[in-house]
Amino acid sequence: MRAGGPLARGAAGAGLALGLPAALLALWWVASAGSTNIFLPPLRVIVEAFGRVWLSGTFADDVVPSLWRLGASYGAALVVGVVAGYAIGRWPVARALTSPLLAYFRVLPAPVMIPVLLVAVGIGDATKLIVIGLGALWPILLNTADGVRAVDEVQLETAAAFRLPVWTRHRLTLRAATPQIFAGARQALGISIIVMVVSEMLMSTDGLGFTVTQFQRSFAIPEMWSGVLLIGALGFALAKLFELVERRALRWHRGHTGREEPS
Amino acid sequence: MTAELLRIEKLGKSYRSRERQVDALTGIDLAVREGEFVSVVGPSGCGKTTLLKIVAGLVPATAGEVVLGGRRVTEPPADLAVVFQEYGRSLFAWKTVRQNVELPLRHHVGRAERRALVADALDAVGLGAAAGAYPWQLSGGMQQRVAIARAIAYRPKLLLMDEPFSAVDAQTRGDLEDLLAQLWHRYAMTVLFVTHDIDEAVYLSQRVVVLGTGTTGVQAQIPIDLPAERDQLGTRSSAHFGELRAQVYARVRRTPRPSTPELLERVAP
Ligand SMILES: Nc1ncnc2c1ncn2[C@@H]1O[C@H](COP(=O)(O)OP(=O)(O)OP(=O)(O)O)[C@@H](O)[C@H]1O
Ligand SMILES: [Mg+2]
Repeated sequence: MRAGGPLARGAAGAGLALGLPAALLALWWVASAGSTNIFLPPLRVIVEAFGRVWLSGTFADDVVPSLWRLGASYGAALVVGVVAGYAIGRWPVARALTSPLLAYFRVLPAPVMIPVLLVAVGIGDATKLIVIGLGALWPILLNTADGVRAVDEVQLETAAAFRLPVWTRHRLTLRAATPQIFAGARQALGISIIVMVVSEMLMSTDGLGFTVTQFQRSFAIPEMWSGVLLIGALGFALAKLFELVERRALRWHRGHTGREEPS
Repeated sequence: MTAELLRIEKLGKSYRSRERQVDALTGIDLAVREGEFVSVVGPSGCGKTTLLKIVAGLVPATAGEVVLGGRRVTEPPADLAVVFQEYGRSLFAWKTVRQNVELPLRHHVGRAERRALVADALDAVGLGAAAGAYPWQLSGGMQQRVAIARAIAYRPKLLLMDEPFSAVDAQTRGDLEDLLAQLWHRYAMTVLFVTHDIDEAVYLSQRVVVLGTGTTGVQAQIPIDLPAERDQLGTRSSAHFGELRAQVYARVRRTPRPSTPELLERVAP
């Protein structure tokens, strides 16, 4: 690239990233303009519905509860996953005790728990919170355990030789494992969005998934489509936000592994 | 004659796992006086790293004992710092140079004194200007200087170094050797220096200890009576340097290398 300023590069990157979606949307707009199929309404109609539905009370009634559940469950999974993953990665006894259990739960799809929890816990928020949290937990926990286990022996010995306090040593180990922890957290974010929508479709009285299903049942097709678009946009925005945090937190790791030129 | 700082007696170490046992060290006897610079040489696999780790309290011995400053070593002792060969792995990549050097002091030294110690150590290794950089922004030689600065700022009585210069190029290596010699004078430390480079051992040390393989213990201790002031060109080309070098070399050569059956025996089931 000739104009190599970081700003120019950022703009070019954003252009590349947004170019294809913009082109596809334009294509959709044009191709659907004269559509008479009620299941595939013109994009113009969907956009109108979008403004009507989501820029109103529905936002507070349905988007906020969804985001709240997602945030609470994901946050809890993050805390539990990192703490448990740390213990399992650090202490062989913990690993030996839990590994058969982990091997089982890591392949169990979280939505399978929905019917079970419906019976055991009921249809309230608790069930959704638990299902989303369970879906997010395993990738975080397993990646943290792997990362902690792989922390360099030489770093641990350095910390021990300089008689660093136990807590400092735990902190250093955790910090050294952050690249893996972030990888798990990124995976978990995608999963928890899916589980959030699915659980709301199956058992809820509010939320994004619920609203989309409601529109579908009442044949409000443009409104249904607008919900789909919103969920997609939400997932995209959350992923971008995550990437932003990760880039900041792991700058040292990219430098250390030679993926960023020294500044 | 200065006081004895380190005494290693009948030290032995076997690594045992379920199916095999490796005798890494047997019957090692060695004493180091305060302020001395002692090098340990020996063939690869003879247990040099193991010896250093036991002295550092990182690995427990299976026989004998290590006494440092009158205290038996059972855990990492105070007043001791280690510089490993793998500088890239012993520095914390998410911390700046200053933070790396400061880290071991955080829990032992007050803030103002800490700042002074860090600045002094970084200046001493010629990295005063790089304090804000990250290790991965520095060359290999500079990274090893950071590790040395971290050790020096800690003001250890005993500095342990495990082949610290074997991963850098020859030019840098010479510079780092001279830097170390200078720091040893300036900070009045005792240095136990592991290397497999005989020239390096002779050039830096007051005494070279030749380690035998596995079961043979210390092969020889050769005093290096070169003048205290040494320099890469003059010292290394002097006739006496050549004699000492030949002397150490002969002892390392005479070290019985384990034959294959013997090796298999040492790795007995
Ligand atoms: N953690 C371990 N478990 C089992 N065996 C080990 C372990 N560490 C070292 N050994 C064995 O002990 C012996 C001595 O190893 P050590 O690393 O101390 O040798 P060294 O003299 O430092 O070798 P080098 O010059 O190659 O660094 C070797 O046979 C090695 O295989
Ligand atoms: Mg070694």
